[in-house]
Amino acid sequence: MKSIQFIVNGKECTVLCPPAKPLLDVLREDLGLTASKECCGKGECGSCSVLIKNEVVCSCLILAGQAENQVITTCEGVGLSPNLDVIQESFIAEGATQCGYCTPGIIVSAKAFLDGIDHVPSVGEIKTALGGNLCRCTGYTKIIKAVQTAASQKISEPETIR
Amino acid sequence: MLVSEIDMITPSSLPECLMQLSKEGRIHRLIAGGTDAAVRMKEGKWRPEIWINIKNLHELRYIEESEDCIYIGPLTTHTDIIHSPLLQRKADVLVDAAREVGATQMQNMGTIGGNIGTASPAGDTLPALYVLGARLELTSLSTKRIIPIEEFILGPGRTVLKENEMITKILIKPQKPNEIGIFQKLGPRKAQSISIVNVAISLTLDQDLKCREGKIAFGSVAPTIIRARKCESMLPLGTLNDELIRNIAKIAWKEVMPITDGRATATYRRDMASALLERGLYRLIRRWNNH
Ligand SMILES: Cc1cc2nc3c(=O)[nH]c(=O)nc-3n(C[C@H](O)[C@H](O)[C@H](O)COP(=O)(O)OP(=O)(O)OC[C@H]3O[C@@H](n4cnc5c(N)ncnc54)[C@H](O)[C@@H]3O)c2cc1C
Ligand code: FES
Ligand code: FES
Repeated sequence: MKSIQFIVNGKECTVLCPPAKPLLDVLREDLGLTASKECCGKGECGSCSVLIKNEVVCSCLILAGQAENQVITTCEGVGLSPNLDVIQESFIAEGATQCGYCTPGIIVSAKAFLDGIDHVPSVGEIKTALGGNLCRCTGYTKIIKAVQTAASQKISEPETIR
Repeated sequence: MLVSEIDMITPSSLPECLMQLSKEGRIHRLIAGGTDAAVRMKEGKWRPEIWINIKNLHELRYIEESEDCIYIGPLTTHTDIIHSPLLQRKADVLVDAAREVGATQMQNMGTIGGNIGTASPAGDTLPALYVLGARLELTSLSTKRIIPIEEFILGPGRTVLKENEMITKILIKPQKPNEIGIFQKLGPRKAQSISIVNVAISLTLDQDLKCREGKIAFGSVAPTIIRARKCESMLPLGTLNDELIRNIAKIAWKEVMPITDGRATATYRRDMASALLERGLYRLIRRWNNH
């Protein structure tokens, strides 16, 4: 057991856990942040995606000790009702979520992607950016539409204060 | 060994890391991005007593050029490679290959040192490194040696790395203005998939599409990456027209030595090696004509 510190969604946290415990399990079990989901557990599906320093990574393959002192953002940190992010609003508006299991991971990936660009992305660009996130339900069409809607809203209302 | 029993040490400098690696009487292993290491730990294949965590050892994360050599730190991520203007200009085939590794998440986490360290016959940056004449600096507390990448990898997952050594630098030859490269991959799906076959090509071209010299390296068609020497020797035979390209692709079919495994049969791999080489050469020429 080790005492490990992180900054999760803007808050400093200290957790006592084995250093090789996957970050995903720490988030869910020790910190009660259950938006990030485990599906494959080996990097293939993206349902566990979180941001570390604004880069999207799979939390199922990051060991707790490796994330020590890092700035981590989960889907809860992107936005929580009633203060949802435009991406989350667009997913609701476009009906881009069905069972919802993949959604927090996709929101997080879309967040990192849209923060890094300043135009409305093409379908091809979105497919590349979200290629690491699988969805069994939607068929992706609405997810892609929602990301485009969010991008155009971000451009038309830059820096909306939440 | 249970996952919960594995300890972790995070050295704060390279000397401290080398010191940790030199400690005897315990089972330890380096972990960088963890995209291979954590998967194998979960599968129960790799359960060291101690992970030596180098993920944030920033002194080993750089891309630099000096005096006709490009130096890449082993902790450079695939994303770093993709976004490097220097590599885009002078190591296009490596940038191409890094783009094909996994998807965004894996590119953000996975490192070039880890890709080499895993020494998978399907590792995507490896064929690119072969055609760029890469050499590796291997360092221990008391030794330092530089060896060509061909001599580093012995077989699937097997390398000449000693217990107390680590990769501390990757050295590649920058491409000249008349050199151009490309990486082609076939996987079960576009993102996030292990190569069934991959190929890296680097050509030195004259104005009239005559190839002065070329290098071709295939992955996933032998126990390690292989250079297709026969195909390479055909490249300078004439202008790279349809006939020559098809003939080279036919030779590739014979030159690779694939096996049948869960991902593909040997014959399919031969067919695809030949097709990928043909497609790669055509695309390279198109790129050359457009630049
Ligand atoms: C879903 C998924 C998809 C993937 N897709 C691809 C793909 O398309 N193409 C591909 O090539 N790979 C792929 N991989 C494999 C992996 O992402 C890459 O091999 C990656 O580059 C490994 O880097 P890492 O930093 O994560 O290595 P780690 O997992 O941290 O380490 C891998 C090995 O290298 C050793 N090592 C690390 N750094 C050093 C060093 N400096 N010196 C000596 N040894 C070292 C470690 O001890 C370990 O044995 C995929 C993996 C996953 C989980
Ligand atoms: S659970 Fe992490 S990628 Fe599938
Ligand atoms: S909404 Fe069900 S998996 Fe995506």
